Amino acid sequence: MSAADTPVERRFEGMTDRQLLREEQAIARRFLGRVPWEMVVWGFGNFLVWLSLWPLVLTGVLPLWLGFLLSTICCALAYLPSHEAQHSIIAAEGEKLRWLNQLLGHVSTIPLAFPYGIAWITHRIHHAYANDPARDPDFGSQGESWWQAAYNALRERQPMNDGMYAQTLRESDDPNRDRAFVEGLVLGWVHFGTLSVFAWSGYAIEAALLWWLPRHIGFMYLITFLSWAPHHPMMETGRYRDTRVWKSPVGTVLSLWMEFHIIHHLYPKIPLLDTPKAWRALEPILIERGIRDDRRVAWASEDVAKPVEEAA
Amino acid sequence: MKLMQGIQFLGEWGAVAFGVGFLAPLIAQSMDALEVPAPFGLSTIAFGLIVGPTAGLVAKLRGSWV
Repeated sequence: MSAADTPVERRFEGMTDRQLLREEQAIARRFLGRVPWEMVVWGFGNFLVWLSLWPLVLTGVLPLWLGFLLSTICCALAYLPSHEAQHSIIAAEGEKLRWLNQLLGHVSTIPLAFPYGIAWITHRIHHAYANDPARDPDFGSQGESWWQAAYNALRERQPMNDGMYAQTLRESDDPNRDRAFVEGLVLGWVHFGTLSVFAWSGYAIEAALLWWLPRHIGFMYLITFLSWAPHHPMMETGRYRDTRVWKSPVGTVLSLWMEFHIIHHLYPKIPLLDTPKAWRALEPILIERGIRDDRRVAWASEDVAKPVEEAA
Repeated sequence: MKLMQGIQFLGEWGAVAFGVGFLAPLIAQSMDALEVPAPFGLSTIAFGLIVGPTAGLVAKLRGSWV
């Protein structure tokens, strides 16, 4: 019998919502408070590998095709360490390692040319309004299939497009908003300036295959696994229904641990690599709470699982 | 809001700048690498400088590259 077939534990029967929540929080607390050093190494290491590809390819040590492949992997891996920093998991405001938290946040997304300040603001709004078509900045990645979602997100990301991210930022009252705009502008023009300088120096194809194309492919991968798959079909809202536990066709690691995204939405300060074991500990009570358990439906299916009491 | 308008302006004309700054040499160097000659006796970079910014202008007018 798989975990998904296990009946809801009897010990939760008769508990009130408040008691269930208290129990849930007590279990979740066991996974909070650890500094995820592996994410620090991942973030800075990934950035350094990506940076080293430039001299290695331009001096002929590494063939361009291999540089392209490695750069694409680096771009796909560039977001998650910054995501830990966005939730202040490395160190919160006022803590000794706060500088490291912020440095990691800024540095790790450079291969994606995605500014930390903008990611910080929009991601908080995403958590507050997940799946709300009018307010969730990630709603632009909605789609029937992953490729439709990736295409929608590509259109959404066009710099001249007044999409959900632009609207979210415009309407944000975050005190750091103007600084985030400037950061976005600077990073955008550094990205463009670097591509142009290399291109006009005779290295256009190298620049295209080391940054421009890997960045787009990396974003597509991230949109598929971090935004589309965990929230698909983006029709429900609410603490236990706006994301889900699901079965990835490519496994946990290649889907960047997003099969347990529900743990992240419920307890954003649990480090990414601890979400699988947090899920295993929380599974019975979360099933009782009526989460979306889509492990038995295809990942792209819109036939999402109903809460326990409705299905019964 | 002025900052936002400035960013919006740069974003809109960024497509044309991208056409000149990156696409033009990319088109030219790709043609050179594939040994594809430019039409009408143009050099590959001249051809790139016509196609790149034109594509950028079309993207600007359409509001999207794709």
